[in-house]
Amino acid sequence: MQVKNLTKTFNGFKAVDDVSFEAQAGEVFGLLGPNGAGKTTTIRVIATVLAPTSGTAEVCGFDIVKNPEEVRKNIGVLTTDIGVYDRFTGRENLIYFGELYGLTGSALDKRISQLSKLLEMDDFIDRRAGKYSTGMKQKLAIARSVIHDPKVIIFDEPTAGLDVLAAQTVLNFMKQAKEQGKCVILSTHRMPDADKLCDRVAIIHQAKIIANDTIDLLKHKTYASNMEEAFLNLVKK
Amino acid sequence: MSSIVLPLVLMPLLIIGIGKFTVYQIQKSQEQVVKIAFVNESIAPELADAIQKQDKTEVVKIEGDLSEAVKNDKIDAGIIIPTDFQTSLDKQTPIQIKVIRNSTSSKSTTALSRITAGLVVYNNEVLQSRFSKQKINPTVLASVTAVPEDVATEKERGGFGLGFILPLFIVMWSIIGGQYTAIDASAGEKERKTLEALILTPVRRLNIVFGKFLAVSTVALLSVVISLVSLYIGLKFSGSSIYNQASQTAAAGTNSESLNIVFSLEPKAIIILLAASLFLVFMFSAILLSISIFAKSYKEAQSYIGPAYLIVILPTVFVNTLPGLKPALWFFALPVMNAILLYKEVLMGTYDWNHILVTVGSLVVYSLVAIFLAAKIYSKEGILFRD
Repeated sequence: MQVKNLTKTFNGFKAVDDVSFEAQAGEVFGLLGPNGAGKTTTIRVIATVLAPTSGTAEVCGFDIVKNPEEVRKNIGVLTTDIGVYDRFTGRENLIYFGELYGLTGSALDKRISQLSKLLEMDDFIDRRAGKYSTGMKQKLAIARSVIHDPKVIIFDEPTAGLDVLAAQTVLNFMKQAKEQGKCVILSTHRMPDADKLCDRVAIIHQAKIIANDTIDLLKHKTYASNMEEAFLNLVKK
Repeated sequence: MSSIVLPLVLMPLLIIGIGKFTVYQIQKSQEQVVKIAFVNESIAPELADAIQKQDKTEVVKIEGDLSEAVKNDKIDAGIIIPTDFQTSLDKQTPIQIKVIRNSTSSKSTTALSRITAGLVVYNNEVLQSRFSKQKINPTVLASVTAVPEDVATEKERGGFGLGFILPLFIVMWSIIGGQYTAIDASAGEKERKTLEALILTPVRRLNIVFGKFLAVSTVALLSVVISLVSLYIGLKFSGSSIYNQASQTAAAGTNSESLNIVFSLEPKAIIILLAASLFLVFMFSAILLSISIFAKSYKEAQSYIGPAYLIVILPTVFVNTLPGLKPALWFFALPVMNAILLYKEVLMGTYDWNHILVTVGSLVVYSLVAIFLAAKIYSKEGILFRD
């Protein structure tokens, strides 16, 4: 995945300013920054939900402006605000979205049971989603976002509001995806998560990228022992 | 639920209920015993007698002021006979008797009409005796009498009755029926935060809008059809007799011809009604979707849609209150108004193909424009992410 000079303005306000980065298959790329830095907007533009003001991005060789449908087929996005259909069971939610991604029949059933096992959802997948806890909902949302087995996976604040156990499942899922050769992008403001998981990171601050390197190099450059320190040193500069 | 059960139950209940209530009121006022008191009754015993002989009329004695008694509902009307009644009668000069009544009481109005009927009888008696004294045949008085003959067919009479209320219901259900689904599919998805997941799928934006549109119009159409079918069944089993009764009792005083009202609809009429309803539903569904995607939440969407009812109710009131409205052809190009006018015509058995074509044609155009607008609005990113 390649992002080239991406800019997005809302009524004159620059939410994303000339952002460029690259993420490869088989790595976890961190998109780090404080709240309101422009991470979510960047993701929305890459996911073709918003149109870029200027610049562009390529996902698996497909341009987000010229080929938005192909991009959406190859990308799985977990949004910050997750909502599920309360009156459907978890399984029905997955069937509905699976069909929107063009999956049907036994292929869809197989994929659902696979994901259900992977995310430890078997106990509650046939219960109404309205009764789910935050952790269950988050798992369902993750399963929904990768139901079509995309090559690029973007998770926006996937561990926000989760307890340690649920967060662990989510982080493990990302690790597995990386091992399967997916390109995983983790957008977060939680530095410990990034420390544990990311190979390379880009730091967004006030709509601009202020650093883009491997974790080790960043720590080294900022004389920090962990990402949190490194981040603080960079932002305060 | 609300778009299926409500029309199923509400429609027959309303129409039959109103019918039954009207019959009940008419019968009640006819069966009411009215109380009348006289002043100087003894001066004109024959007059008092003629009034007293009227059905359900009771003459009571009242001490004191008659006006006071009418005001306090002790009696329903009071009659004051002038003291020179007999002399005037002998001199054959016009006589005025004073009738005291209360125009705000329906019972008093009934009393007045019975008094008037009694006076007609009495006047006839007086005139007959005067004529016979002068050896003139009393029939010279009856120079011309009217024998009414209704050219309206039974179907037209039935359609006229229904034509007041049915178009309003069709139009109303085509909005109310789709309202819940429209709000749920747009503002509801925003509120549940499922909209973003939906537009992240490879499905094209236009297809998503169209899917939502089909869902809304299916539900709306279903509730229109259900309301019509349940109304039809309701009328079949109890309704038509009610309407016959109502119109008969209402007409009993003026003419005695029997009014048989039939509610049979020709297949042709049903097809035209459905075709107009279909495109009306399409138009409303697209408009409802467009309105409710602007809203951030359920409640906001409801407050936007509320005023939309006015647009529907105003033309209906307009059409129904103008007496003998002969609509020009361009009336049939106005949305909503055209459907209401066409429903009315078809219910009365009139098939003006110009009207039908203009109505259906313009509704097709309006619904296409509305669908196009909804698709445009849905592709605006600002509206989808207005948090």
